[in-house]
Amino acid sequence: MMPSDRSANRIEAFYAKALRLYPPPFREAYAPAMRQTFHDALQDRQRPIRDLASLILRDLVISLAKEHLVMLRDSFFRPALLFNALVLAALATGLALALNTIPQQVLRLGADDPQIAIATDLVAVFQSGGIQEMLRQGALPFLVGGPGNVDMAHSLAPFVIVYDDQGHILASQAVLEGKAPTPPPGVFDYVRIHAEDRFSWQPRRDVRIAAVMQRVNGPQSGFVVAGRNMREVEARESLVGKLAGLTWIGMMAVILVGTVVFGWYTKPKSA
Amino acid sequence: MANEPGPATPLSPAVFAILLSLAEGERSWPSTNGTRRWGGKHGYLIMKDAMAARGGGVRLGPGTLYGSLDRMMRDGMVEESGLSDDERRRYYRLTNLGNSTLAVELERLDAAITSARSLGLLPQGGRS
Repeated sequence: MMPSDRSANRIEAFYAKALRLYPPPFREAYAPAMRQTFHDALQDRQRPIRDLASLILRDLVISLAKEHLVMLRDSFFRPALLFNALVLAALATGLALALNTIPQQVLRLGADDPQIAIATDLVAVFQSGGIQEMLRQGALPFLVGGPGNVDMAHSLAPFVIVYDDQGHILASQAVLEGKAPTPPPGVFDYVRIHAEDRFSWQPRRDVRIAAVMQRVNGPQSGFVVAGRNMREVEARESLVGKLAGLTWIGMMAVILVGTVVFGWYTKPKSA
Repeated sequence: MANEPGPATPLSPAVFAILLSLAEGERSWPSTNGTRRWGGKHGYLIMKDAMAARGGGVRLGPGTLYGSLDRMMRDGMVEESGLSDDERRRYYRLTNLGNSTLAVELERLDAAITSARSLGLLPQGGRS
């Protein structure tokens, strides 16, 4: 069936409007030729109008998507533009990692400060008068509390545990599940050689302690462990991690938007 | 046939149909025209050729046709002939690279058909 002249004009006008959906450079280059081709097809009496309509509709959908994708590729997938975006993304990622790692390290190292002071003072006392004698004289009262009153799982207060040279407990201000725990033997071995170790001690799966162990020399040798629950420090480390993550996402969004805008305004004329 | 390197094969059905249509037009151009080059084919003629059985039965619309022609011109396979009988009609013809690309693709298809015949997937002596 052939369309009447009036219908043909209407169909051509519709097609001309649909051509506006193509990317501008493609439209400027080919819209007149496409209209002419469509006009030629409409005038072809061997071709049924229904067949032509289905062909044109299908072609519009597929070629519109394709030409827009080609335009995007030509606009944004240019080596210089991609290289700049990748360099900026790498810098942003490095910065975000530094924002995550440096404060976490500072927080973790800072968590040892009271324990270092406590252990150092106590070791000096023990070395001057012997561990047993000083404990008898009440060397621990300057600390937070008396023996066994710090629950390692819940309290944030610093505590001290004193061990003899074999690693047996002589006195403890802290308990976990009713008894004072002992660090792994490797820590004692290390401190025997290096005099001090600062470590994260996990006496139970859900309990992490910022601990400092120092060697006591002198008439009675032994070890002093000063510790503190890391729960609060780890909460701050987690907050720092989240803030660094949000900063990274923000920087990536800025780079993406900047690349898209820059790519759009500097796209090749033919794109 | 020349086998100079061109765009990678296999070609898309649209590109193959366009090359075939333009090659057919160039071949049918009478040699009596001496040095005058063939003026090429316009969009609708290429569309019709592609849709015919001899063109592969490829249903090309204007968007696909001119999108393919645009990329083929960028690749150097076709060129505008400059001929114009209407300000909106544009005529295209093959370049040497287009001719050689078509030749490579036809050889590839021919090898596949020969292989299919030898495996008994196609009747011997049938059209290819």
